[in-house]
Amino acid sequence: MLETLNINLTAILPEILLTALALCVMALDLIMRRGASRLVLGYLSIIGLLIILPVSCVSVIDGAFYGGMVKADGFSAYFNAIFIIAAIFTILISMDYLKRVNINKGEYYYIVLFATLGMMVMAASNDLVNLYVGLELMALSFYVLVAIRTASSKSVEAALKYFVLGALSSGVLLYGISFTYGVAGTTNFTEIAFQARRVTILDPYLLLAIVFIIVGFSFKIALFPFHLWSPDTYEGAPTPIAALLSVGSKAAAFAAFMRVFLVALPVYQPHWSRIFWGLSAATMLYGSVVAISQKNIVRMLAYSSIAHAGIIMIGFLVTSDMGAAGVMYYLLVYAFMNIGAFTVVTLFIRSSGRGESIRDYRGLAVRHPWLAFVMSIFLVSLAGIPPTGGFTAKFFILSSAINAQYYWLAVIGVVSTAISLFFYAKVIFYMYLSEPDALTEGTAGGAAGGADRDLPIMSSATCNIVLVAAAVGTVLLGIYPTPFIDMAIKAVKPFFLT
Amino acid sequence: MEQIFFYIFAILAVASAIAVVAAKNPVHSAVYLIICFLQVAALFILLRAPFLAAAQVFIYVGAVMVLFLFAVLVLNVGKERLGEQIHHQSVIVIPAVILLLLMMGILVAKGRLTAPMGAFTEKALEKNTEVIGKMLFSKYLFPFEVVSVLLLIALIGAVALVMKEKGSQD
Amino acid sequence: MIELAWLIPMLPFTGAVINGFFGSRMPKKTVGLIACLVMAGAFIISSSLFIKILSLPVDQRSIEVTYFTWIASGAFHLDIGFLIDPLSTLMIMVVTGVGLLIHIYSVGYMHEDKGFWRYFAYLNLFVFFMLMLVLGGNYLVMFLGWEGVGLCSFLLIGFWYEKKSASDAGKKAFVVNRIGDFGFVLGLFLLFWTLSSHGVTSLDYKTVFASLHHIDTATITVITLLLFVGATGKSAQLPLYVWLPDAMEGPTPVSALIHAATMVTAGVYMIARNNALYAMAPISGEVVAVVGICTALFAATIGLVQNDIKKVLAYSTVSQLGYMFAAVGLGAYTAGVFHLMTHAFFKGLMFLGSGSVIHAMGGEQDMRKMGGLHKHMKITSVTFIIGALAIAGMPPFSGFWSKDEILWEAFEKGHTIIWAMGLLTAFLTAFYMFRQVFMTFTGECRADRHTQEHLHESPKIMTVPLIILAILAAAGGIVGISFFEEGTAAHHFLSPVFEQGGHAAANVGGHVAQNGEALHGGMEAILMAVSVAAGLCGIFLAGLLYYAPLKKYAPSFWRPEVIAAAFKPVYALLYNKYYVDEMYDHIIVNPIKRFCGWCLSFDLGIIDGIVNGAAWTTRLWAWLLHKFDIYIIDGVINSAATFTGYNSGFWRRLQTGRLQNYALIFVIGLLIIVGSALLG
Repeated sequence: MLETLNINLTAILPEILLTALALCVMALDLIMRRGASRLVLGYLSIIGLLIILPVSCVSVIDGAFYGGMVKADGFSAYFNAIFIIAAIFTILISMDYLKRVNINKGEYYYIVLFATLGMMVMAASNDLVNLYVGLELMALSFYVLVAIRTASSKSVEAALKYFVLGALSSGVLLYGISFTYGVAGTTNFTEIAFQARRVTILDPYLLLAIVFIIVGFSFKIALFPFHLWSPDTYEGAPTPIAALLSVGSKAAAFAAFMRVFLVALPVYQPHWSRIFWGLSAATMLYGSVVAISQKNIVRMLAYSSIAHAGIIMIGFLVTSDMGAAGVMYYLLVYAFMNIGAFTVVTLFIRSSGRGESIRDYRGLAVRHPWLAFVMSIFLVSLAGIPPTGGFTAKFFILSSAINAQYYWLAVIGVVSTAISLFFYAKVIFYMYLSEPDALTEGTAGGAAGGADRDLPIMSSATCNIVLVAAAVGTVLLGIYPTPFIDMAIKAVKPFFLT
Repeated sequence: MEQIFFYIFAILAVASAIAVVAAKNPVHSAVYLIICFLQVAALFILLRAPFLAAAQVFIYVGAVMVLFLFAVLVLNVGKERLGEQIHHQSVIVIPAVILLLLMMGILVAKGRLTAPMGAFTEKALEKNTEVIGKMLFSKYLFPFEVVSVLLLIALIGAVALVMKEKGSQD
Repeated sequence: MIELAWLIPMLPFTGAVINGFFGSRMPKKTVGLIACLVMAGAFIISSSLFIKILSLPVDQRSIEVTYFTWIASGAFHLDIGFLIDPLSTLMIMVVTGVGLLIHIYSVGYMHEDKGFWRYFAYLNLFVFFMLMLVLGGNYLVMFLGWEGVGLCSFLLIGFWYEKKSASDAGKKAFVVNRIGDFGFVLGLFLLFWTLSSHGVTSLDYKTVFASLHHIDTATITVITLLLFVGATGKSAQLPLYVWLPDAMEGPTPVSALIHAATMVTAGVYMIARNNALYAMAPISGEVVAVVGICTALFAATIGLVQNDIKKVLAYSTVSQLGYMFAAVGLGAYTAGVFHLMTHAFFKGLMFLGSGSVIHAMGGEQDMRKMGGLHKHMKITSVTFIIGALAIAGMPPFSGFWSKDEILWEAFEKGHTIIWAMGLLTAFLTAFYMFRQVFMTFTGECRADRHTQEHLHESPKIMTVPLIILAILAAAGGIVGISFFEEGTAAHHFLSPVFEQGGHAAANVGGHVAQNGEALHGGMEAILMAVSVAAGLCGIFLAGLLYYAPLKKYAPSFWRPEVIAAAFKPVYALLYNKYYVDEMYDHIIVNPIKRFCGWCLSFDLGIIDGIVNGAAWTTRLWAWLLHKFDIYIIDGVINSAATFTGYNSGFWRRLQTGRLQNYALIFVIGLLIIVGSALLG
């Protein structure tokens, strides 16, 4: 029994270390005095994550472990790197944010770590049960994190929406998993793939299972029409958590998609890719079009994030190593550019709730040239303009679509990118070409009054680290993508060997 | 014989589930939910899964529902309010449900959805509880450990969110 | 040395980064020192590269260096790499050499400006992009540099952005360049689209040039014309020259660097680089030449009557660029590039000289208020006159050799009209240049007393670059002196680059070339004499009008006022620059403005208007969808809820909020997918 289990601690070393780190932070939180600042926990978490990052990148071992549950391949290592980078950034900006909104909770830090753990479990899983458990770990952590501003009804409302709909999607996902088990008699991806190759005809129950699994994860990725929670939740959640949600949670769900569909169900590609085709096209167009009419920057980013998810989907559904690698690369770039943008947004947030309107960005270039400059880099990258990472990422995805002859999808992707240019460019125009209006503020300023509008937008050292790192990452990935895309291609190669 | 019992339990489960949604008084809803859970437990027994049935009764009917009732009583949700908020969706829900039924009907009629027998024999299912126990600690060891972390989070999360009242009043 | 080539652009880039990020916290001395040191480093490496290239055998002088692959997808890949050959080394020599002098000069010129660090960061960044443009080994890198210099030009023209005219000029340059770039991009796309349909997926110059035989003449004519549209924008040719005179709003050293020596020559460089393409499209070549010579004449006539010291130089730049285009259009690439180099020397010199004058005059740019400055600033005046002699084509100054080469090529290739127009332009050039010299440096000073008291020679840091440039302007033509049968030194050096183009061109105009052989010799000397005579004539006439010692010999009708009065309409036409700006305003700018104001008067003005105007339909659609989200979905579902009143607070939002609706939509979405998957 034990031999077949194939227990290997090195294979799950990153997970073990991360759990240990989270538990350490938790223990430290418990022994600290009540009023003491919890910032030290944030630093501890960051140092720990910085140590785990290289470990997670090198712990690549062939084979499946723990009864075929866990993989420690290049694929999971790549995603682990994305998750950990996103977590480091999130904690760094959170330290500033929590001070800003007067929250001094140690739980925040280690729940972020646990959420990261959940993502890592998802990306490393080779079994539906394991995948689901990882998903729930991540989701549960996020429910708590979104609601962490318990004093704000917006935050609680956002958490509740996310929680209820998340539970619904989990139910659907579980339904799909049980159908899969019913048809294949196993939950292990490798075994499912084996079964599927034996039986050539698609069992209708398996088709149902596929649909349910797609829908279950589509919720996490926020694909149309399962996206409705995301703008509300992003808006209500603490901004750094919204950043982590849009990057980490999304990346984890994509990792799950790729594991399930590319490893377990490649045989049924014609069936599931059709569904994804529709979802992707609808999501791209919906996200980018609706984003134009948004007045709140967080909601705008939420819709932009939806549109990005649609484009990333293309790379996945074309089922080629180029496309899959493009997905991973895109998610890596997205971690940098989106968290960067969210960092600037975070700096604008006050406890009074002002600073979320896009109009507040008028004339930013005059008042805060540095912030305006980095924000432009992130927005330009999000819009997919060279020489930034956003362009190369889109290039890989769209060229894989063309190579796989998904011309219409590529066209829709380009159209959606073109549309998205409007709302990204609008923010840049506001920042650079428009005067900061003194009293014409009609959107959010009503309640806040004129007293606090002159409060300086402070940029703390931690935020500056994130801004610099994210900007450098965004540009570097745009100028020199080769090693990163090669790594991704190497990581997904095994998926396409059979 | 089994089939008759299946239908009885199944129909009761669906009916009580509808009643959970339809009931105007939240306490009634909770009671209907208990009935629904019990039916599901019975279905588990029919499926030769006594362990799951027991767990269903202990955890859901015993622990979870008691908590639900507590919450409903403590929050003191007015019964009309809860009712009206849910019912105004019926405009869309009813056609949707009809559509679903229609769809299922078409699928069954076309023979695309059938109910084939499972692969497991009676004998294999005898040692159900033992098998689950062994599996949990061997093949499913890793997710089992992850679940322990998950429960920890649930615990901490609950505390963290409730603690706020104290924190903000300090 | 070749291995160090990447340092040439990267050094200025490093300087830009350091000054851009930390410049505001560093003393001005350090900022200036860093900026100049990186330029000096780049210049030293460039020079050694130049020497290295010279030392190589002629057939090995073209070296391709690939640093890394930018993006690759299947067979398609884009590399970041340089092409080091005589043309690019000559260009980097000019860019880094003149650039270095201008950087040094700027330290003195800008020392009082509060944006000192910003200025040097931009300037270094500009040099970086310019070097990428000329060094790039494929169209991608060239395009990167092309766009980059445009951006930096925008930043530098609008450097004093508090001044409205400056920021307007910056915007104008940006917009006009966008128009040109649009053509350029279209041309590039067409080129690659055509090539890729023949299986050529590389963007390298060498690969592209080697596979040109796939393309038919009509396509290549369109491509080259589109590329030329880009060149007219960047190099200020008809009809897109309008931004350059306005660009004089920027600091004077910027005008010297960008609008005389480097960026504006990018178009000439681009055509010279693509000589293989142009050789295959004789019609495009003709168009380039005709547009070039027309621009030369056109700008020269405007230059005759301008009173702003920098505007005169601006129009003369446009005019000289016209010469270069005429040359490259005729296939005389060597002559064009040669003139580009000498022009960088003498025009850089004259801009810096005018900067020195403006500096001394306390910001005054109107020549009518100057005069007699020679007494006060000898170095400036002598160097400026050397520049003027060079541009007027007086032997043995550099301008004579290069301009004469262009005129000779035009004549030799049988384009007598172009030659005649060039000659006329040369005459006009000599006239207005010496009008400027006489008005500025001779006679009585017409400035007010206060300014007169403060007249002074500029500090050494400004005059030394002037002297060096003056030497170059005087002696730079040496390389052009004919000393061998096979042509001039520059010709000899550059000819391998243009072999392909020259070869094809020779086939096109074979009989003309044969005629040329016969004409060679005596004819060339005669033509030289004619052009020198034209120049002398211009100088003399200008002297009669504006130089006091000569004025008394002039007949009574030969007075500026009299001529202006006699040819009033012509004078007004020239003085107002043919009303081109007004025409553009009326025909293009105003209608667009009106259109934008009409559809989006509430928004941000033109730019937001252009963007939003295009986005209008999309927005409408977005708005509808958004409303669909809010009203239709919610409305249908919430129709009952709207009556429940708006008791505020958490409960209301939770309950009449959209949670249930979301769940419902979720389930409906699920059902639709299930239905379509199972039934479909």
